[in-house]
Order: sequence, then structure tokens, then C-alpha cells
Amino acid sequence: MRNALSGVERAMFWTLAAAAFAAAAAGLAARATDRLAEGYDQARRNYAIVRVLAPEGPEAVAAAETALNAAPHVASAARITAGRAAALLGLANAEDAPPLRLIEVELNPAPDSADVSGDIVAALAQGGVTAEMVEAPDVESGGEIASWVRAAAFWGACAFGLVMAVIVWLAARALAARGREMVTVLTDLGATRAQAAGRIADEAALMGLYAGLAGGALAAAAGVVAILLMAPGANLETLAGMIRPLDLAPVAAAPIGAAVAAGLGARAAAGYFYARAARLG
Amino acid sequence: MARLNHVEVDLLQQGVLARLDGVDSGYGPTTVLLEIEFEARVGEVALITGPSAAGKTSLMHLLRLALPIRAGTATIMGVDVARATPNALAQAKRRIGYVGENPVFVEQWSAFDNIAMPLQVAGRRAQDYTDDVRELVDFVGLGEAADLPMEKLSGAERRRAAIARALAAKPALILADDPTAGMSPADGRRIVKLLAEMRRVGAGVVIASQDESLATCAPIQLWRIDRGKLSPAEESSTADVEPIE
Repeated sequence: MRNALSGVERAMFWTLAAAAFAAAAAGLAARATDRLAEGYDQARRNYAIVRVLAPEGPEAVAAAETALNAAPHVASAARITAGRAAALLGLANAEDAPPLRLIEVELNPAPDSADVSGDIVAALAQGGVTAEMVEAPDVESGGEIASWVRAAAFWGACAFGLVMAVIVWLAARALAARGREMVTVLTDLGATRAQAAGRIADEAALMGLYAGLAGGALAAAAGVVAILLMAPGANLETLAGMIRPLDLAPVAAAPIGAAVAAGLGARAAAGYFYARAARLG
Repeated sequence: MARLNHVEVDLLQQGVLARLDGVDSGYGPTTVLLEIEFEARVGEVALITGPSAAGKTSLMHLLRLALPIRAGTATIMGVDVARATPNALAQAKRRIGYVGENPVFVEQWSAFDNIAMPLQVAGRRAQDYTDDVRELVDFVGLGEAADLPMEKLSGAERRRAAIARALAAKPALILADDPTAGMSPADGRRIVKLLAEMRRVGAGVVIASQDESLATCAPIQLWRIDRGKLSPAEESSTADVEPIE
């Protein structure tokens, strides 16, 4: 008891650690999905293409580019050069690309209620250019998909975490059953239900805490490996900058959740054993 | 702890540690104890004898507040058993030392730690009770076996550990269910004398055993139980008492 964990307790510890690992890994996967959906959503909202209609000539495109760089909602604007056009159209030579009167625009984040296209076209008109938004920022379609994906990732991870918590809770009940003789002894010696169950619950919660730390650390390590293998441009130098504090929430929650679930499971079981020992007949 | 009423206080004032008036008790559909009339008092030793399955152990469970009553009135350590709250019963249990027929221990713990458990439950700190527990270990003759895990102890050593644990918190009422089981007659008598000595420090002692000859170990109030019915027999005279070896 006071020395190393026995074989059964070791097995129980790793059961709790595996559950904590699975929950934390699911949480990290949900965070990754959320970040991808967020990135997709931002890219969809923050990009537009403007086609210059009048006047004719390359000067108009240059004037439009200048007007756009001063227009509301615009972060940057750059005309589509022949080389860029060839790349977009899959042409081997830039000379083969037709002259384009298109300008790519990076937009600042704007509230959904803002009329981004209208504001930009009006700003161009003030600069003496008639233009239209060919590919306007899309706040109507597609946004729903990103929202759904983010919500599904969040609630899916929560549900999975809950299932893992139930597994920890049940495992802790088995652990409490191992401590049944202690509950019996404490009951016979005059411990109250809170004392007897609390003692067993504290031990289970401590084991849950350590198992959660182990499971959370393993999930964090797996997450780092996954980022290094799969995220473009990720390496050990850029890693710290890629991770936001919120991304670490599942790792931090694993030991706390495991400790709480294990403590509650053990307390419930020990309370039952106490009642059985306190009153025979 | 629940407030005591005036009857319960009176009983404690009179040195009555346990009083059973017309008590029935049992398990499930079976009533094992019938119309029990019994009293355990400060400084007295009672020996309850009877054949196997007569109800001795059930009576001990009743006295240690583990078996509910079905009829009659039971006042134990100043607590009316029928109407006491679970916490009040738990508090009263702390003043009862119990040596079970098959004592339960935390097997992975040392005998020392098991013996110290009543003091832990009472909220005492280890540095305050270590010397007392060592003294108790020597008193019951457990010696160096006290530092071994319980699972390594022999039957006789386990019984000594159980007695030491029962005495650790200096209880007012000591209950011993067949404390000489598995011991040689000489060792058994020594243990009973040792338990009976607790009367000198003001404890009441109740011993259950099939061996009626134990009544000669000390001034003992003898009771007989058969088929759940308890009746007083005779009090052994102090002249019969053998000295502790």
C-alpha cells in the first residue's frame, strides 16, 4: 500500500493513463480540426478578385490597384501579373497568358453585417474606376460547413472525453473494491462514511492525477510528432509559435478530469461498502 | 454527535456502558437474538458462553453497533441504537474496542500501522501516538512481528495484533469474540487475563467464548446463551483467579 503499486494497481494505473491519453488525444485532434476549419474560413472570407471594367488600358488597372490599397477592408491588393496568370492557368510560358485586368485582394476581417463588396466597388468608383468583384468574400455559403466542422470537433471530443471519464470512473470503482477491507476496518473502528469513503477516494484521485499526467504527456508528445510530420513548414524552431495556449487545454484537462472521475467513482463504491459494513443484517 | 437524552446520560453516570432491554435482532428473515437482557458496566468483565451458533457472535455485533435491533431498547455508549444517526453510531464505535472472531486487517500494511488505525481515525498525529503503540505492541507480546505486513503474521500473532488494535484508543468498552481461538490453552488464558486487566483502568470487558473455564481467569460475570436466549449464570469468585504468568 505505502510502497510500490501492486500488480493490479499498476494495471489499473495504466488503464487510467490509457483513457486519459485517448481523451487528451481526441481533444488535441479536435483542436487541430478547429484550427484547420478556422484557417479555411479565414481564407474564404479574406480573399477577393476584382475585375477592372473601365476605363480601358493598363493605366486603369494600376489606378484600381492604387485605389484598392486605400479602400476600406483591404489589407493588400496586387494585380495578377502575366507570370501569376500563367501559373493560375497552368501555362508553361508567361507570354502565352492573355493580358488580365484582374487584381487579387487580401481583406481584413470584417463583421458579417459589412457590405465588403459594395464598399470596395464604391471606393474604386471614387478613384474613377469601374470594377466588379469577380470572387467576393463569401459569408453566405461554405461558412456553415466550417462552423459545423468546428462544432462537431468540439462536441465530439467532449463526448469522447465523457466516455473516457466513465471508463475511469468504473476503473476507480474496481480500485475501491480492492480497498474494501480498508473500508471495513475503518467502519469497524468508528470512521464516518465521509472519512472512510474520502480516504479511498483520495487515493484513487491521486492515482487518477498521476495517470492523467502520464496520459496527457503522451498525448502531447504524439501531438508534437503529428505536427512535425504533417504541418507544412513545421520544425522544432517554428513549433512553439504554431501552438496557441488554448491548444494545450486537452493536455491540461487530462489529469484534472482523470483525478475527478477516479475520485468520484471510488467515493461512490467506498460509500456502498461502508453502508454494507456499518449495518449487518 | 447527537445530543444524549437524560436517560442515556444517567446510564453513563451509573457506569452502564451497554444496556439491552428485551432486544430482538437478526439477519434477513431470521431472528437470531431473542428478548436479550444484558448490561455491561465500567470495571466489570462478562464472559458469554454457549455452544456453536447460539448467538454469541451476533450479540457481539449488536454490542459493537453493527447489528440493528428489531425490538426492545438498546443503549450502548450512551447512544440509543434505534434512533441514533449513522454519524452518532460511528462516534460511539470509537469508544468500543472490538476483537473479532476473524479480525479484518489491511493486509499489505504492517501490524504496527493496523494497530495505530483507531488513533488515526480519532484524528491523532503519528508523532503523538508512536510510543504508545510501541508500548502496546510489547504489552500483547507481538514484538518485532509488528513491523511485518499483516499477511506474513501467524494466526496467534494476528490475534495479538487484533487485541492491540482494540486497546489502542483506550476504549471504554472492550468486546472480544472468541479471543482464544487457535491458541494453546495457556496462551488463551493469558490473553483473557490480559483483557480482563483492562477493567482496572475503568473499561468494561465482554468476552464471548465456548470455553466456560475461562471464567476462572479473573473476576468474571458469567452469562450463558443458547438458541438466542441469554441468561446470567454465576460470578466467579476472586479466590479462583489465577495470576498472570
